[in-house]
Amino acid sequence: MISRRTLLKSGTGAVVSVLAMPAIAQAPKKISFLTWNIIDQEPMIRGWIARFVKDRPGVEVEWLDKKGPEIPVFYQTQLAAGTPPDVINTQGALGLEYAAQGALLDLTPRLKADAAARDRFNADYLSNWAYEGNNYMLPFYITKTLLFYNKPLFQKAGLSAPPHSFDAILDAAQKMTTADASGFLTLNFDWLYWPLYAMNGIDLLSKDLAKPTFNTPKAIEVTDRLAKATEAGAINKISWTGRWVEPNGAFAAGNVGMLHAHSPAYFFVKGQGKWVTPETLGVAHAPGGFATPNSHGLGISKASNNPDLAWDFLKFVTNEGAQELGVNRKLVTGNIAVDNKNLADLEKTDPLVYSILKTQLEHTDKMVGNWRLGNDSKVKEAFWPELQNVLLGRKDAKTALADAERKVARELKRG
Amino acid sequence: MMPATGEAAGRQDGWWQRKRTRDLALIACFLLPSLTVFFLYRVLPLGWNVLLSVQYWSPLKPARWAGLDHYEEMLLYDDVFWQSLTNTLIFIGAAPFAIALALGIALLVNSDLKGAAVYRSILFLSYPLMTVAVGIIWRWMYDERGGIINFALRESGLITKPIPFLQSFDWALPSVIVAEVWQVLGFYMIIILTGLQSIPQHLYEAASIDGAPRRAQFWRITLPMLKPSLFLCAVVGILNSFTSFDLVYIMTNGGPGHATELLITYIYKSGFGQTKFDYAAALTVVQFILLLALTYLANRAAGGNAGSLEHR
Amino acid sequence: MTTMRRRGTYLRHAALVGVSAIMLVPFYWVLKTAVTNENIYAYPPRLLPERPHLFNFVDVWYFIPFPRYLLNSVIVSAIVVACNIAFNAMAGYALTKNFPGKRAVLLLFLSCMLIPFQATIIPAYLITSKLGLLNSYVGLAFPLLSTIVCIFVFKAAFEAVPHSLVDAARIDGLSEWRIIVRVLMPLSKAAIATNVVLAFIWSWNAFLWPLIITREPTMQTLPLGLARFLSYLEDTTGALYAFAVMVLAPSIFVFLMAQREFIRGLTSGATKG
Repeated sequence: MISRRTLLKSGTGAVVSVLAMPAIAQAPKKISFLTWNIIDQEPMIRGWIARFVKDRPGVEVEWLDKKGPEIPVFYQTQLAAGTPPDVINTQGALGLEYAAQGALLDLTPRLKADAAARDRFNADYLSNWAYEGNNYMLPFYITKTLLFYNKPLFQKAGLSAPPHSFDAILDAAQKMTTADASGFLTLNFDWLYWPLYAMNGIDLLSKDLAKPTFNTPKAIEVTDRLAKATEAGAINKISWTGRWVEPNGAFAAGNVGMLHAHSPAYFFVKGQGKWVTPETLGVAHAPGGFATPNSHGLGISKASNNPDLAWDFLKFVTNEGAQELGVNRKLVTGNIAVDNKNLADLEKTDPLVYSILKTQLEHTDKMVGNWRLGNDSKVKEAFWPELQNVLLGRKDAKTALADAERKVARELKRG
Repeated sequence: MMPATGEAAGRQDGWWQRKRTRDLALIACFLLPSLTVFFLYRVLPLGWNVLLSVQYWSPLKPARWAGLDHYEEMLLYDDVFWQSLTNTLIFIGAAPFAIALALGIALLVNSDLKGAAVYRSILFLSYPLMTVAVGIIWRWMYDERGGIINFALRESGLITKPIPFLQSFDWALPSVIVAEVWQVLGFYMIIILTGLQSIPQHLYEAASIDGAPRRAQFWRITLPMLKPSLFLCAVVGILNSFTSFDLVYIMTNGGPGHATELLITYIYKSGFGQTKFDYAAALTVVQFILLLALTYLANRAAGGNAGSLEHR
Repeated sequence: MTTMRRRGTYLRHAALVGVSAIMLVPFYWVLKTAVTNENIYAYPPRLLPERPHLFNFVDVWYFIPFPRYLLNSVIVSAIVVACNIAFNAMAGYALTKNFPGKRAVLLLFLSCMLIPFQATIIPAYLITSKLGLLNSYVGLAFPLLSTIVCIFVFKAAFEAVPHSLVDAARIDGLSEWRIIVRVLMPLSKAAIATNVVLAFIWSWNAFLWPLIITREPTMQTLPLGLARFLSYLEDTTGALYAFAVMVLAPSIFVFLMAQREFIRGLTSGATKG
């Protein structure tokens, strides 16, 4: 039996203690950060997070890293469950697809309000992730294709300089073809081979992305010539059947004259190829300066509970973090100031890497193969198998391109 | 004191009734845990797929009714579907040969042969390997340059140029099937061995006494008694057309072209690769129906009731 | 032993050696590569490892929290194996009896087998989330707690036990559960062994489900952890194969342990009745 006085005392005590509690006793503000296969940089990223939360009490950042093939499965499941990571890192056109899906936050208003943040970046690369005119991602690190070539093989074939036209490519490839060696190899995923078509004036789609425009006599001729060159062994078949390890490995083995790939291929080739030195590896732009970008972008999930904090973090990573990333991973980040500084340093310390990374910032107005399609993978799936059929000698170019046109048109209509 | 007959009869009826329901309740209890797991993780997801297959949906977009649009698209316009269907059937068609091989091996090993345990262990070794690892190993063994298969063929003079096993439209699917059989052989073997265990020895003894030759003993005793095991193997063989997902994904990713595209890889790519979850759901439903039909046929061939043996 | 029998035995050995060799060649290749860092795509392929070393195996311990992942895998697999034996034996026994709706239940089980995991990812995640089992050991184990193949293995094994034994036990007044434990299970050692081996393998090797269901790195299982490790090193070096070997080893160990049940079954000749 509690006396009324005790009750009153304890009641008052409770009320007083409640009022005396700190005014802000919120749960910590937490954002999650999903990266694409960059776990070898764990100390760097943990350092970023530590510096970020130091100035922001009560903030937590959860870091997740997944390999490329795991990300779509992981992200889509989280999306379906309503708990996607706040800041996500995607490669290539996946960012556009997620934007089209409605999964990403439109960053345009924020970029408009913060001109300094916008002007920090190379405009051409920033527009890589502009879907229907709106920006959805900031550059994390950027790459695009270039032409690597095996100087000793070039010399042996009597070639003095890298090719400057499509005809020259096929010509040089043919000259370097022997029983054991082939002349040309290209990567084929994510439209990386498209410069071969762009340099012949072929466009996949109309400017409004509504109609396929690639079924032209010129395209048929180009495809035919590529197929014939493949059959003759001038173009290594792995170009059309391999993904990353096989093509780069073949070039690293030292019996392929040219490799058309984006800059990260260098590091793989260098690791596997004992012949690679600044004297033996040549670096050039593809004829016409055309290149397909395959960049990594950072965006914010629309379902994020802390979009402002996520935006803060995004700016932090692409500004304060970019420097370290560029140096550690030897890549170009898209942040103009950071890249200029890093490249200036590299010119002295590693001229070969410098020459490779320099190409990534040149001719950025000639980037092709990166149509702002919300259904990029569907269009790719409609086009590439048909092309592959021709290049591997299973179908003739005319029929295949006609079939591809039909299929692509269907996908575009579906939207 | 003897109870009145009517009373006794009534009580007996009541007692029997209760025991029967008790039995049924017990059976239900025994089935419950498994059924719960399957209900949550198989039946409900299947239902989700069925519902999804008649809608237009993607995460974050509201669903719209699609009717049979996806099925129409699949059956009339999608040659990749038909290719993957054909490939899946070929894949499944390899199962009887693999099972027959496993049966032969199991019989060899299931004897008083010295070292049978060693053989058993060696032959089973491939199954516990992660399918991803099996895919990587075989992809590398098939490689034109560094692969041991081409190397051996060239060294022995059988061929002059390396065969691009996984890059060739004709060789790719058989090559993947060989890798799959290599992995699953141990599994068939273990199932058949378990079945061989339960064949009572006295049947063989009686047959020997009666003068039946070994071959007749095999066909008349062993094979019929193995029906449940063989049925299980057949079903697993059918399942391999999708449990080999990692194998195909790693070795060829469905290529070249769609030469090794199975229904399951197409389902996965449509869903997580192209974000066409609704279409992937329709593909799942079609695959399910196909596999159900095949399983039903296998069940009939095994004599119904999952090949169980009724013997007293 | 007569000459005929001796020749028969030689032939059997020869056949088995041949098949074993085919099974082992890829393994030799895996092990050879796991102990070197050579470029595996170089031509010609080397038959013997050059400069073998165990660094790949050691590196694993340094780059990732290996003991934690190992522990997680062990716990999840233990849960899966234990539940599989219990649930599958119960269900297998129930299926040996005749009851109304048995054919429907059999059909249900068979059809459940035909639903591939890849098609269930999103709903399975949502269901597990609703159950509040995300990021938990039970959540990791749940979809695998019972498997239809193993139910049928038990079913077949129980059906092979003569009814006379079961009837005798029932007359003795044993409850159904006791019958399973005291009479059927001891005579189905091979089936139990098979259950253990298969349930262990399937849960140990699971990759996609743990990938989806765990967000915290501390709850990840070994295949995930080792895939993480691969990101530090190239995919084409021996590290990959060290990975494969390390994930494989426990499954082989479990098989070897369970294997003894097969031998015992053999020598006893399954003498029943």
